[in-house]
Amino acid sequence: MGIARTLTIRAVTLIAVLILVLFMVVTVLGATGLSDKLLGAIVNERVRAERQSLAQSIRDPDELNRVMEARELELTKLYGLDLPWYLRLPQMAYRVLILDLGNARSLKSFKGSRVIADIVLERLPNTLLLMTSAIAISAVLGLVVGVKIGTNPGTRKDRALSYFSAISFALPTWWTGILLILTCAFWFQMTFGFKLFPPGGMYSTPPPADPWVAALDVVYHAALPVLTLVVALVGSYTYTARTIVLNVAQEDFVTVARAKGVPEKLVERRYIMRVAAPPILTNIIIGLAGSIGGAILTEAVFNWPGMGTLYYQAILQLDEAVIIALTYIFTLVYVAGRFILEVLYIALDPRVRY
Amino acid sequence: MSVRFREAWSEFWVSGVSKLGVAFLIALSAISIYVLVSYPLDFGLRRWNNPPIWSDNPKAVPPAWTTSFGGESVVEHTTFLATEPTNVTESAKSRTLTYEFSIDYGYDGFPSFTSLSVTNATFHTRAPQFTLFFERPDNATLKLLREVAPAKRSEEEPPVTRWTEPPRRVYLSGDDRVASAIQSFLSRDFELKVSRDLIMRVHPELPLFGVPKQENETLSWEVLKGTYHIRVEAELFDSRDTVGEIKYVLGGGVFGMMGTDSLGRDLAVGLIFGFPVALFIGFVTSTLTTVIGAAGGVASGYLGGKVDLIIQRAADLVYNVPLLPILIFFTFAVGRGLWVIVVILVAFGWPGLAIIVRSMVLQVRESQFIEAARSLGASRRWIMFRHVFPQVAPYVFSQLIFYTPSAILSEAALSFLGLGDPSIPTWGQILQLGFQSGGVYVGWWWWIVPPGLLIVVTAVTFVFLALGMEPVVNPRLRRMR
Amino acid sequence: MSILQVEDLKLHYQTLRGTVRAVEDVRFTIEKGETLGLVGESGCGKTSTVIAVTRVLPKNIEALEGKVLLMGEDISKLPDEKFRKEVRWKKISMVFQGAMNSLNPVIKVGDQVAEPILLHEQSTKSEARERVLDLLEIIGLPKEFYSRYAHELSGGMKQRIIIAMALILNPSLVILDEPTSALDVSIQAQIMNLLKSLKRKLGISMIFITHDIALASDLSDKFAVMYAGNIVEVGTAEQVLTKALHPYTQLLLASTPRLRRDVVPSYIPGSPPDLVAPPTGCRFHPRCPKAFDRCSSEVPADFEPEPGHRVRCWLYGG
Repeated sequence: MGIARTLTIRAVTLIAVLILVLFMVVTVLGATGLSDKLLGAIVNERVRAERQSLAQSIRDPDELNRVMEARELELTKLYGLDLPWYLRLPQMAYRVLILDLGNARSLKSFKGSRVIADIVLERLPNTLLLMTSAIAISAVLGLVVGVKIGTNPGTRKDRALSYFSAISFALPTWWTGILLILTCAFWFQMTFGFKLFPPGGMYSTPPPADPWVAALDVVYHAALPVLTLVVALVGSYTYTARTIVLNVAQEDFVTVARAKGVPEKLVERRYIMRVAAPPILTNIIIGLAGSIGGAILTEAVFNWPGMGTLYYQAILQLDEAVIIALTYIFTLVYVAGRFILEVLYIALDPRVRY
Repeated sequence: MSVRFREAWSEFWVSGVSKLGVAFLIALSAISIYVLVSYPLDFGLRRWNNPPIWSDNPKAVPPAWTTSFGGESVVEHTTFLATEPTNVTESAKSRTLTYEFSIDYGYDGFPSFTSLSVTNATFHTRAPQFTLFFERPDNATLKLLREVAPAKRSEEEPPVTRWTEPPRRVYLSGDDRVASAIQSFLSRDFELKVSRDLIMRVHPELPLFGVPKQENETLSWEVLKGTYHIRVEAELFDSRDTVGEIKYVLGGGVFGMMGTDSLGRDLAVGLIFGFPVALFIGFVTSTLTTVIGAAGGVASGYLGGKVDLIIQRAADLVYNVPLLPILIFFTFAVGRGLWVIVVILVAFGWPGLAIIVRSMVLQVRESQFIEAARSLGASRRWIMFRHVFPQVAPYVFSQLIFYTPSAILSEAALSFLGLGDPSIPTWGQILQLGFQSGGVYVGWWWWIVPPGLLIVVTAVTFVFLALGMEPVVNPRLRRMR
Repeated sequence: MSILQVEDLKLHYQTLRGTVRAVEDVRFTIEKGETLGLVGESGCGKTSTVIAVTRVLPKNIEALEGKVLLMGEDISKLPDEKFRKEVRWKKISMVFQGAMNSLNPVIKVGDQVAEPILLHEQSTKSEARERVLDLLEIIGLPKEFYSRYAHELSGGMKQRIIIAMALILNPSLVILDEPTSALDVSIQAQIMNLLKSLKRKLGISMIFITHDIALASDLSDKFAVMYAGNIVEVGTAEQVLTKALHPYTQLLLASTPRLRRDVVPSYIPGSPPDLVAPPTGCRFHPRCPKAFDRCSSEVPADFEPEPGHRVRCWLYGG
């Protein structure tokens, strides 16, 4: 009963966020005139296509022109181009929501389609793969190391952790990636004659035929990007875990547990880690937005075929429609990710269930 | 209040992390002040993004000090300037000024390029002629090219001055005439028939500064060491005619303290300009974010009711938005500019602080001294400022320090993606070009490593300071005494 | 055979200021079914004494010495792992000060009460659960509280759970450190009644630590009065309360308000000594109205003016 209510409230808030972002996006689009450009491009595209197919049946050029003009007017009305942008907002928002944004200017999906929805959606799994593995690895590492150090505060390892976390936080994700390429690919090649890890991409060309080998190939290619993301995340996760564990370990119930004769390993698991897990998870939730940013940058550096690289290419080629679609999808991913994590949080912490 | 400050300071100063942080901060500020004082503010637009100024630098070469590590001796980038001729000869119709440069060439490698520039050719009747001669240690001399200044036009009144801004620059390594001269020289002196295309592709410096070696089918070049003489003969046709400056550039394999990028820009200059920019972005963004966030949190926590509800809802929504995609979208749609970035970062950054400050204020609100102040008749605003805020001030201050590197990193990330402010050289932008030009894959480490390193050092400074502030803010973390 | 016999117990902490001599030369005995009231001001060493006995020690211990005989066996010599397996909670259990935070917030309270069973005895989960439910009934809590979490319980309920947790393995000795100080008076009364009925029904031996003599007198058969790390007086409740010998005990009793007498309660001037550098000789002598010169130079021996009634004071011997 309590859980359902909590979850519903969270879900509603997150959906509100999505709507807010959508409206923000379309408002900016309208105000800067980009939506006119966009819709105009879609209309032109359709007109052109229809003209081509109609030209088969209508031979008379004048008649063709007349029909096409009428058609163009119709389409203009359909897409709301005859209205000022602020009256088009809901329609535009809906359009973004279902990714009905027409074709990309020059980018193509892997299969050759230029429809934006196709391009963006086929890259989504690649990005998710990168992100979730990096976050999972960092979280586990952070928890384990954080607990180890949190239960032994003030030692040299503790101080070393402070320095390491500071540096990990300050390292720009993309620069770490660049450095890794520079060393593992370039320098290794120079010194040892081969590349330790590939400098980019997700598959070798041509991709191996055997599915197991192909999977390993992906892992091999993912090694550096994931490492980059982990380096960026693990510092703050570990430090927060350590701080939280430090606070929890000083709580009375931990002393009580020891007095009860609970073996130390179990005290660590059940009384420290288990109790520290919810706030640590909160920290991961808070860091999720940053992780998305990091993933985008990492993909761009490693040319990983996900949405991040697409963002990069779209910026270079000034393809607004793709950028809009990506902004929306990323927000969607973020909202969904948060929701999942918050469900996890509620499962872990009975105190928030009302 | 001052006792608490002193107490806080001694707590802060204890750890090594804080000391490092303060030391770095002082260094950063000193450098920034130096830059602000010695460079013009429109440096970005006028000089950094102005290719002709950098044209005579070697492109994408490592810093000069890398040669001290031994190995093959790399050509030092040398600029020869002359305003006075070494020799003047008179004849009936003209006066020839000879400008001569000698190069003691002992390097093991070839120059990356050569160029000749003439500034300020002033004439009254007939335009001056410039001829470039190249004399090698093996006594072969090539006439590389002849250049005439643009003639006087009918509407112009003498004296006419050509080639002032910009000067006449001939990129010898890409000049057709030079290639032809080399072609004739090679067939004459070495009986070697080489096409002009090949010369251009291979770089004219090799045949100019070297001797061909034919091994089986492959043609290679060996460096000819010795003294080279570069002679520019300027033929002037009026006694009042003058020439301003002749410049010959021997493109080196290394340059400057931090090397150059692919446009020849001195990276040391670009990098140093990044200091004040980074600090500016960091401070402005974090100050604004902190002020708005703290104000929102205090108001929301203390005043309660409708104000609280509105601020809380707003914060909740905004807080849940992923930053980078939104940043990308806004800079793309609205335009690239420093202030766009700052505004977005502040607009999406304040809720984080507001939410936490609010919960702190909620606790403080119930305490006795607040009640006492209220019963004394203090106004709400008074209480919020004088009583509530000081309670949350340490935390707010530590967050101020903490937001600074975030802002710097966000701007760097945006610049890296190509959405930075194009009128200002920031470290992120320098890296952006480095990455885009493929520098990572060909190992241009001097371009790739330093900007990132500077970003890290700057960000780390603030993180260290924030870490040092932690025991002040969270008593539980104070050193176990 | 006594349940607990403590001799020459010493506990010193290491701090930045120096060594804190928290417990010095402590000696007492508890018989089966007896409740010992350990009383004294805050910081006099009551908690330190019991953590020395139960070895629930912080990291900065400098010295721990003494003999602790639990039913004849010297448990102070046991290695840590054996102590944990055989003594902890099975033979001695504890109810800590500050019960508000003694329960793990993310685990059901019933499971926490059952935990010692599963740790120390071979038992299935359902058997353990049954035992906990039975115990809850004795404690006076409804069975459905098993599945509750700590934040869903009031202070008094939490305290009962904690007492249940201490009793679950039927230990020989239960130590309660200020079990009611965080509760309001009506709940306090409930808990005290519970303890009294448990004492009656189950015959448990207890150490009851408090700074409130009046409260302790409700439950205790014996009293040990502590001051500055020493036990200054030990005796039966009647002996200590009606015939207090040590000047400190007398002053302590005099400072307790009496309902039916028209006497203004007095107080003890001065404050407890710094245990890093305690006073020479008798630690109470600076504040003692009856002090004389021997008190400041020699540590008083333990005298026994009456059988069973010991006092550390030069007034009674030497």
